[in-house]
Amino acid sequence: MNKDLLLEIKDLTVSVKRKKEAVPVVRGVDIDIPRGGIVGLVGESGCGKSMTAKSVNRILPPFAETTGGSILWHDSPGETTDLLKLKEKEIRKKCGTEIAMVFQEPMTSLNPMMRVGDQIREVLKIHKIEKDPAVSKERVVKMLGAVGIPQPELRYNSWPHELSGGMRQRVMIAMAMICSPKLLIADEATTAVDVTIEAQILDLIRDMCHASHMSALVITHNMGVVSAICDHVYVMYLGSIVEKAPVRELFTNPLHPYTRGLLSSIPRIGNNPEYLETIPGNIPVVRKPFSGCDFCMRCSDDVRKCFMESPEMREAGNDHYVRCHTALTGPDPGESKGTE
Amino acid sequence: MEERVLLSASHLCKKFRLDRKNSIYAVRDVSLDIYRGETLALVGESGCGKSTLARLLLRIIKADEGSVLFEGRDITGLSEKALLPYRKEMQMVFQDPASSLDPRMRIRDIIAEPLETWRIYDDRRKIDDRITELLEMVELNEDCLDRYPHQFSGGQKQRIGIARAIAAEPKLIVCDESVSALDVCVQAQILNLLKRLKDRLKLTCLFISHDLSVVSFIADRVCVMKNGAICEMDAAEKIYASPEHEYTKYLLSSIPKLIF
Ligand SMILES: Nc1ncnc2c1ncn2[C@@H]1O[C@H](COP(=O)(O)OP(=O)(O)OP(=O)(O)O)[C@@H](O)[C@H]1O
Ligand SMILES: Nc1ncnc2c1ncn2[C@@H]1O[C@H](COP(=O)(O)OP(=O)(O)OP(=O)(O)O)[C@@H](O)[C@H]1O
Ligand SMILES: [Mg+2]
Ligand SMILES: [Mg+2]
Repeated sequence: MNKDLLLEIKDLTVSVKRKKEAVPVVRGVDIDIPRGGIVGLVGESGCGKSMTAKSVNRILPPFAETTGGSILWHDSPGETTDLLKLKEKEIRKKCGTEIAMVFQEPMTSLNPMMRVGDQIREVLKIHKIEKDPAVSKERVVKMLGAVGIPQPELRYNSWPHELSGGMRQRVMIAMAMICSPKLLIADEATTAVDVTIEAQILDLIRDMCHASHMSALVITHNMGVVSAICDHVYVMYLGSIVEKAPVRELFTNPLHPYTRGLLSSIPRIGNNPEYLETIPGNIPVVRKPFSGCDFCMRCSDDVRKCFMESPEMREAGNDHYVRCHTALTGPDPGESKGTE
Repeated sequence: MEERVLLSASHLCKKFRLDRKNSIYAVRDVSLDIYRGETLALVGESGCGKSTLARLLLRIIKADEGSVLFEGRDITGLSEKALLPYRKEMQMVFQDPASSLDPRMRIRDIIAEPLETWRIYDDRRKIDDRITELLEMVELNEDCLDRYPHQFSGGQKQRIGIARAIAAEPKLIVCDESVSALDVCVQAQILNLLKRLKDRLKLTCLFISHDLSVVSFIADRVCVMKNGAICEMDAAEKIYASPEHEYTKYLLSSIPKLIF
């Protein structure tokens, strides 16, 4: 291991029960999060990003469970724990203080019966970070201000339903950041805030990563956000990672046809077509027996092999990996297999 | 009242109390017309009153002052019962899909509800066909019909909300950040769908978004809000090419660019 990693997700599998049948929604995912690094996770809606994130702090919904793999937490380079093996009590403790998560749906994760300021203060109290109520209140107000909530002293006393969508998201972010976690997992955390506040929040996350060596896993569909703060990007499709690369490499040299499709579907100001470009076809239903590439039905340069065998993750140089039969060799690999 | 105006609001105001001493004007003196068949985008910073304005326009909440006309008829003071016929024509896709879909209902029933309420079809088979068609439109598989909302990802819930809103072919649909949690690919498909509905069915759409590049694709006109009031409203090309208000210029200049 050459990099100083904080978290290593290894071969993670998550299944959900549907009509008594276990359907895999996360299939063999590997993600490395370096200490102080920001890792982006992008991918089509419903591909399993939130499930992956929720496996880390073990808050998968009922009906869903991790069925394989490990999630290694490296406290320090020599000390490693598998989060999936921790006792419930131990993981809850870790999640409050060292791992913080910003959920995709703020309204369902805020307590509707409690003023938002008190909810954030509760975090400091439960984890015994700050006992003095006056001091902790001040800390909360400061944090609310830092995430761009106007008039934070007044807003401390607001109920969740009194806030706008974007304000609720910011309350969630404040709640996650207030105990200075070692790992921040942000699941679509800025989807409802405008560009100026988004920039402010991204700066805050970046500062905390640089100054206090926080690491972050940023789940987003916004390629602008990815290019602005991530060091490394993972692209997920139908439950598995199909491409990973340093951020600049991914944007300048996308290899997987899905990644290329993603980058070309972004609407751009100034040159909008009548209709936007999309990847043809539908996201397929996960069927267990299928042995070919998950993307072959929607891919333009599919060859026979793509229908026969599932591609392995292969290195393309520059720390860039891709799961595709044709991306590295062109559409007609012929007999090239095994000769590299 | 001009024939081409579908919905017209004048001097809408809405105030919320923060505590005993302080209140906030979420919407202050807003007047606007939404024309038939157009897509009007509502943009502005988070908390500036976009969702509140949309709720006022659809009479989901009551305004403190001002009036709303739908097809020339004043709906400002109507009772919930008198509003019912208008509800079919005005649908809203809410910003927070998780809390706007009934957790106890299966997806099939969620989408069928407007079709049944308004008795759009007389037999069950036609309803089922329409549901299948709607699911296809929002890129969802048929295997989701028997599942409950909590069994879906965030983006999938957003799309279920859209399918329900367009089910009964309303005249006006309000999309409140409805594509913001979708990956760009599905987002493009949904945007194309909205555009097609507009082109074919003359659907009128109020499109709330903070993503100015999405807005540039979908909108005919753009309305920029700040602090509860409209600061600029004009044709989309005009707003993007030569914004007049300082705030619009500021918004446009802070769009994150793809760095690479
Ligand atoms: N409780 C559940 N029971 C059954 N299936 C579920 C459940 N929750 C989620 N799923 C399914 O698991 C898959 C992965 O969901 P997940 O929430 O991880 O997606 P996501 O990548 O976060 O998508 P989005 O970008 O739309 O939020 C989805 O296809 C979803 O339908
Ligand atoms: N029920 C309520 N009680 C008190 N204040 C409210 C209520 N609803 C909205 N507000 C306040 O009104 C203002 C405008 O809120 P609104 O939800 O309309 O903003 P928005 O423009 O939709 O923002 P966002 O983009 O973040 O969703 C905010 O300051 C909000 O806190
Ligand atoms: Mg998600
Ligand atoms: Mg809103």
